[in-house]
Amino acid sequence: MARVLFQHINKQYPGEHRLSVNDFHLEVADGEFLVLVGPSGCGKSTLLRMLAGLEDISEGEIYIGDRMVNYVSSKDRNISMVFQNYALYPHMSVYENIAFGLRLRKMAKAEIHERVIRAAKVLEIESYLNKLPSQMSGGQRQRVALGRAIVREPEVFLMDEPLSNLDAKLRVQMREEIGKLYRRLNTTMIYVTHDQVEAMTMGTRIVVMKGGIIQQVASPKEIYNKPVNMFVASFIGSPPMNFVSGKIVITQGQCYFETKRYVLLIPEGRRRLLQERYIGKKIIMGVRAENILYQSEDLEQEKHKHAKIETMVNIREHMGSDAYLYLHNKDHRLVMRVDPWTEHEEGQMLTVSPDMERVHFFDPETEAVIC
Amino acid sequence: MSADLAKKNRFARFVKRLKRSKPDYFLISAFIGLTLLAVFMLLPLVFIVNHAFKPINELFMYPPRFLAEHPTLFNFRQLFLNAQKMSIPFSRYFFNSVFTTGVTVAAAVLISAMAAYAFSKHKFPGSSVFFGLIIISLMFAPEAVVIPRFILISELGIMNTYFSHIWPLVAMPVGVFLMRQFIDQIPNALIEAAKIDGAKEWKIFYRIVLPVCMPAVATVAILAFQMSWSQTETSNYYVQVESLKTLPYYVATLTGGLANGVVGQGIAAAASLMIFLPNLIIFLLFQRQVLMTMAHSGIK
Ligand SMILES: Nc1ncnc2c1ncn2[C@@H]1O[C@H](COP(=O)(O)OP(=O)(O)O)[C@@H](O)[C@H]1O
Ligand SMILES: [Mg+2]
Repeated sequence: MARVLFQHINKQYPGEHRLSVNDFHLEVADGEFLVLVGPSGCGKSTLLRMLAGLEDISEGEIYIGDRMVNYVSSKDRNISMVFQNYALYPHMSVYENIAFGLRLRKMAKAEIHERVIRAAKVLEIESYLNKLPSQMSGGQRQRVALGRAIVREPEVFLMDEPLSNLDAKLRVQMREEIGKLYRRLNTTMIYVTHDQVEAMTMGTRIVVMKGGIIQQVASPKEIYNKPVNMFVASFIGSPPMNFVSGKIVITQGQCYFETKRYVLLIPEGRRRLLQERYIGKKIIMGVRAENILYQSEDLEQEKHKHAKIETMVNIREHMGSDAYLYLHNKDHRLVMRVDPWTEHEEGQMLTVSPDMERVHFFDPETEAVIC
Repeated sequence: MSADLAKKNRFARFVKRLKRSKPDYFLISAFIGLTLLAVFMLLPLVFIVNHAFKPINELFMYPPRFLAEHPTLFNFRQLFLNAQKMSIPFSRYFFNSVFTTGVTVAAAVLISAMAAYAFSKHKFPGSSVFFGLIIISLMFAPEAVVIPRFILISELGIMNTYFSHIWPLVAMPVGVFLMRQFIDQIPNALIEAAKIDGAKEWKIFYRIVLPVCMPAVATVAILAFQMSWSQTETSNYYVQVESLKTLPYYVATLTGGLANGVVGQGIAAAASLMIFLPNLIIFLLFQRQVLMTMAHSGIK
């Protein structure tokens, strides 16, 4: 077990003019489950591969424990890695796949056997030990890959989109298994994914990246409730956050968010907007699908009385436990979550109201959150 | 086992398709056409085998027959008798051939595979230039390089040694090319996984790359074997010492001047078969893997 420290890491691939990882600075605590999430091409794999010693570090230093590992070869970093396409040795049995790393380390036969069996038990693959990878399903293969990773008892686990090749149902199951494995081993894990659901459900801490740059590092809850910018707000959460552009106006001492089609009263608590520089300026309001209310008893409440939007139901999407309405009002579009038992016809008019305590405001230039 | 089963299934499906109410005429004609072609391709094989077992009178029969009517081992007996009369015994040629071919095959496979691994999975300055050179050397007709090769061998001072049978064939551009096609298909993640597991380059090469490339290894081995086993050039050009010459050379002398007589024809037929047989055996042993390589590399 060990902490991992990334100290101002830059990565520039030869022949590329831009940085694939840009000033990545982060300390991963011992025993933490850190998830790196971001769209494809944002540099997640590159970062992980630098930590694994598979890619040179252009600038900066990486520490595992107290040891600077920039010039330490992969095999001596005491890490293990699970790959997206499993990367099992196709000519070796499951047993040999798991044992390979131990054999290379010249461990005693009896101990190898004991460890392989123990790992196989944990992952419930004991009955496949003599099979070849090609005789197994994707889910089973990924278990073998996990077995190969845990059997060496490394200080840090690295996983690069380990569930991407699995079908939806298996993915949910394996997500749980990896979670269990983590709680059991309590080893530092760094997990890369482009799937925000995986990030939200698995990590103790999430790093959202874009274009090689860290956008936000926080717990899943904080990332969701307090995104620092529009990118994080839209990347985390499904459906993505609604963005509406408008401006801040003050009339009769009250603060309003005003668009061409409607005016919404901003509650007292969010008066930071009143700071001179945003009054009368363009601003972007972000509201999540579940923070838009539509039932008449809600709309009666004081805080919603002056925050109403007239819209038309465009599409109704039934998801089972939830339903989503795609609303529009000329050029404004909104997605909201509704009770799946309610009936809404497509084309019907509907009055809705965002929960103004929970909306976010963003600066349209920097895209950073204001409040 | 499972491959056998799959084959049976495939055949069963094929028959079923033929039996379907509406016959697929394209399939049927393709099947018949290809069968005829296969039989036609088989004829020389049948001829070589039968020829060796024909008694003298049948050897010279006109028109020639494919099948031996009264098969006999006479030609083989003559071959060994004749060989015993010569100053260099047949077994010496045979040993020379087996030894040099064995070393050539092993070295050609190893060197081709190592070069291909470097070209495929490593970056080093000039790698594309070197690979280009290898590809270009594929295009030279062997006749064009006889003289430079001769000079090279003589300057190296390996004339009249076993090395002169081996070195010219160890550099095997086709081998490098085939192996590279195959190694290119190995996902990098596999090699990286081995690295993280603790393998250094050599371990990665012989524990991961070589076993995964077994079909390509087999193919290159067969090609190297065929090149080395039946060639007479090295014995002709680089070796003047009779005791260091190889079996195909000996057979060539039988068919050539030395034994132009009637019995010589029979001996030559028997010797040809003996040279040809290892080719056939090795190919039959490895044919599955060869076909796999062909499919992988897109060569055929
Ligand atoms: N071997 C490479 N050579 C050059 N550029 C690369 C290489 N690998 C990745 N990149 C570039 O670096 C960026 C980050 O890639 P990667 O780390 O694979 O992203 P992710 O894993 O987040 O999808 C991408 O823009 C990609 O094009
Ligand atoms: Mg990636």
